[in-house]
Amino acid sequence: MPAASLLPRAAAAAGSLVFTSWGGTTQEAQKTAWVRPFTKASGVRVQMDGPTDYGKLKAMVESGNVSWDVVDVEYDFAAQAARDGLLEPIDFSVVKRDALDPRFVTDHAVGSFYYAFVLGYGTKPFPAAPKGWADLFDTKTFPGKRTFYKWSAPGALEIALLADGVAPDKLYPLDLDRAFAKLDTIKSEIIWWSGGAQSQQLLASGEVAMGQFWNGRVAALEQDRQPVAIAWEQNLTTADMLVVPKGSRNRKAAMEFLATATGAKEQADFAAATRYAPINLGSAKLMDPAVAETLPDRHAATQIDLNMEYWAKNREEIGKRWYAWQAR
Amino acid sequence: MTTARMQALPLPDAPPPWTRRLRGLGAVLPALVLVTLLFVVPVLALLLRSVTEPAPGLSNYATFFGGTTYLKVLGNTFLIAGLVTASTLMIGFPTAWFLAVAPRRMAGLLTGIVVLSMWTNLLARTYAWMVLLQGTGLINRALLGLGLIAAPLTLTNNLVGVTVGMTYIMLPFMVLPLASAMRTIDPSVLQAASLCGATRWQCLVHILLPMVSGAIASGALMVFVMSLGYFVTPALLGGTANMMLPELIAQLVQSLLDWGLASAAATILLVLTLILYTLQIRFFGTRGAA
Repeated sequence: MPAASLLPRAAAAAGSLVFTSWGGTTQEAQKTAWVRPFTKASGVRVQMDGPTDYGKLKAMVESGNVSWDVVDVEYDFAAQAARDGLLEPIDFSVVKRDALDPRFVTDHAVGSFYYAFVLGYGTKPFPAAPKGWADLFDTKTFPGKRTFYKWSAPGALEIALLADGVAPDKLYPLDLDRAFAKLDTIKSEIIWWSGGAQSQQLLASGEVAMGQFWNGRVAALEQDRQPVAIAWEQNLTTADMLVVPKGSRNRKAAMEFLATATGAKEQADFAAATRYAPINLGSAKLMDPAVAETLPDRHAATQIDLNMEYWAKNREEIGKRWYAWQAR
Repeated sequence: MTTARMQALPLPDAPPPWTRRLRGLGAVLPALVLVTLLFVVPVLALLLRSVTEPAPGLSNYATFFGGTTYLKVLGNTFLIAGLVTASTLMIGFPTAWFLAVAPRRMAGLLTGIVVLSMWTNLLARTYAWMVLLQGTGLINRALLGLGLIAAPLTLTNNLVGVTVGMTYIMLPFMVLPLASAMRTIDPSVLQAASLCGATRWQCLVHILLPMVSGAIASGALMVFVMSLGYFVTPALLGGTANMMLPELIAQLVQSLLDWGLASAAATILLVLTLILYTLQIRFFGTRGAA
């Protein structure tokens, strides 16, 4: 194999793989909860890389020079990438499908962790607590800047429609005109966050009064005793997914890594560190009840599943419209 | 180069025999191959992609010039680059003059400070400006505390934020070439002018400016072109309404996987930059571009 000799030794040698995720505290927790036990048990060395970049992933697969073996991606991208032939099918003789939440398993991806978009707010500025998405658009009763996730992704459009009175079971297909019209009403008050740390900075500093957040990021602020809180009403849930790019040189080790990462204990440990919920159905009983209480899966009654198949089909079209609207 | 070989070189008006020309080509061949592989091939691939994806034709260019969004982003890009160039020149010119005329040790120290800021992590500098400029930031708190304003000024997520942040980052690229050009000016020329009765303004306009016009042009071009391609700072300090072309290209590549349109946008940016560069060489000569 002359080509392989040009590559870094560690990546080419059997018994190693490269795991790519989004960086920051999430990837740190993945390293502690999944990678260390995996390497200890299997002897396979895992190199960490990041952040995830869909363009890079596509380029790797297209050029046949795949240096990532396991990648943490968003669910709608996983669905689209599977359709575009960018992913290896999951080997379910290695990964135990029955043990996982069926919402977060497909033929080409398994859940990484499961999160919710929640309404996060500073507890100081308001006499009464905001309760749901409608309050996010009510700048009279709750004055101040708002923050939303900057990138085109499931979440903000659904929030606008729910706030406008659309029933949860009537969300899809999304009424984009109505959603953008609703967002227009507060557009001048919006400060966008492009990463988790930035969202925390905006909320903790009081720069924004409330906004759309990943639940784990607000939970981390609460643990730091910052004056912030979460409203769980109509929290929007989906999962990050773990995928194996097509042509991975360490496919077998990658499947074994997926089996470990989605294990009951490993998922429970990750959840305890990040406050994102486990996708393994057996994790709940392994967790400290006080911690389990703070996870999105305890708010199932007020939960709405984001429709990732819809998003996978429409993500490009919605994305173009989203960025055009933002730039206007 | 030895004297013997220099003598062997043909006179300019006598074209070398083809064997020697070939030998000359052999000498530059490695560099030529390197430039072709690292620059020409990727640019050609980019061009090709812009007219072949998703279907052969000029549809990507039609999309770009047909929609108001992309044109607005292009306009933003040039507006911000222009504002940043103007403000770096306004701040950079007096700074550079000060560096040029200051006593040597003082000048060394100040140059060190200018250069040091270039070595600091870009993201850290941008975040620092976010903290300074935001509504609950240091600047607003100070102004509120002094009673100068009643409500916080909006200094981030808009044109002000991007311009301030990028001016700070681009300043060294204006100051350093200007200062090195100004150092070559003999101060006695200015003294002579003022002895002959020239006002300070006349000294500046008729003596100093003409002497450094090449350096101004080259500094301004460098800042302008670098600003056109900037990504991190505008993305963090500007709002989405001030989006610049590089951020749009990144979105198209990373998030929408629309590489055809991204290639078209990149090609447009490249062509406009080359036009600017050509104009600069034409009007200020190669001296300014050095």
